[in-house]
Amino acid sequence: MADTDPLALWQKMIGEMEKNFNALANQAMTQPEFSKFMNQASGLAAGSQKQLGDLIEKYLLVMNLPSRAQVIGMAERLVTIEGQLNSVIELLLQIKGSGAPQTSPSGPTRPLRTRRPPTSPSGERT
Amino acid sequence: MSALSSFGVESMPERIQSEVQRAIQRSIKGVEYVASSGPILGSTPKDILSVRGTMRLYHYRPLTEEVYRVPILIVMATTNRGYILDLIPGQSFIEFLLKRGYDVYMLDWTAPKPEEKSLRMEDYVLDFIPHCVRRVQEDSGENELSMIGYCFGGVLALLYGSIFADGPMKNLICFTTPIDFRELKLFANFADRRSFDVDRLIDSVGNMPPELIFSSFEMLRPASRVVGQVQLWDNIWNDEYVKSYRMFDRWATDILPLAGEYFRSITKDLMWDNKLFNGTMSVGGRPAPLSNIKVPILHAVAEHDHIVPYDASKHLIGMVESNDKEEVMLKGGHVSLIAGANATKRLWPKLDSWLCGRST
Repeated sequence: MADTDPLALWQKMIGEMEKNFNALANQAMTQPEFSKFMNQASGLAAGSQKQLGDLIEKYLLVMNLPSRAQVIGMAERLVTIEGQLNSVIELLLQIKGSGAPQTSPSGPTRPLRTRRPPTSPSGERT
Repeated sequence: MSALSSFGVESMPERIQSEVQRAIQRSIKGVEYVASSGPILGSTPKDILSVRGTMRLYHYRPLTEEVYRVPILIVMATTNRGYILDLIPGQSFIEFLLKRGYDVYMLDWTAPKPEEKSLRMEDYVLDFIPHCVRRVQEDSGENELSMIGYCFGGVLALLYGSIFADGPMKNLICFTTPIDFRELKLFANFADRRSFDVDRLIDSVGNMPPELIFSSFEMLRPASRVVGQVQLWDNIWNDEYVKSYRMFDRWATDILPLAGEYFRSITKDLMWDNKLFNGTMSVGGRPAPLSNIKVPILHAVAEHDHIVPYDASKHLIGMVESNDKEEVMLKGGHVSLIAGANATKRLWPKLDSWLCGRST
């Protein structure tokens, strides 16, 4: 059935095309000429991207606006601060609850470190 | 069987009906796909133990009342986000480890800031990792730990293990870790010293841009992105397929830049001089031959790994001096080995059975 189902054939054909194209392209990419061309192109692209980025950064600075990288940086730092605040809150709650912290700041209650590997019915460790 | 049935004509009306229904579903789900943001990834509860610039150390909250004595520190690859190991409940390596009774920490990375372009290999191997090891020791109260390194995280773990051979690493697990960088043939050609001027690039851009790293990964399979889009449209009626596609696509495109000096060192020492394989690698002037490693080691490699082919990773077990060492080759690719739907049946149980007896 799958051999004659046009949709299955279509999917198979797409899969084969992908494999063949990837193999062909990979073969071409092993040539030194490709490496030379690619590095020229990517060097150029990275250079112009950097210049454009610097230009936009200067523009945003003049406009007194944060750049995307700064906003992402702030978001990451906020997440970190939130996490640290949660740890402080938990520690405070533990102190309030028991008079002294019983555990480290990173978790409310620590399990015992006594776990043993499960044993198989024959008595051997799995 | 009649001639008609052999061509599938008997079931053709049902097939057409099913395809019409799928076409309708595609239109509805297609709109949903564009309008929604995809599953939430990396949601296993965790605490941040330490933050230093690009470095993050997380501790995942244990899910069992009793854990193994020896904690695990996972070292993530510096190009990718750690949530690949914690996708969604039921398909999370971290959740699996927690449920099996391990105490799990992860050294993860965020994008290095422009001012972090001067971070070198020694900052990662001689500072970040030892710092995290100390924090894990303080937090867990245990001196020893097991280290798991994924891809280039495995290289960092190996360098750490070879320099700090006297401890406190008790076990080492590497997933798809390259040793012979000549065998990363396409990467080696991209970084050919005759045409790739790494100094000029890094001196001009600072940190290695993630777009360039992403492009070099994409070029390993140039047709796959387009075909992936065709297959997505074909399967957009299938919620499970779409969910899986979105998870992996989001992760694969979420590439981190690399600190400039660190990338320069990877290119020169590993890609050009192949020092890890040759046994001449040193970090910050400290020799780091793999033969220094004597702890129990497991290396898991993928049968269809197009990023780190077996020829690049197969030397690890032969080069370490451990008496207790094992390589396991499993079906799957570079990412599906550790995070695919079949990882739950292949790699994860294998790792658990290897590690549980060595974690007491």
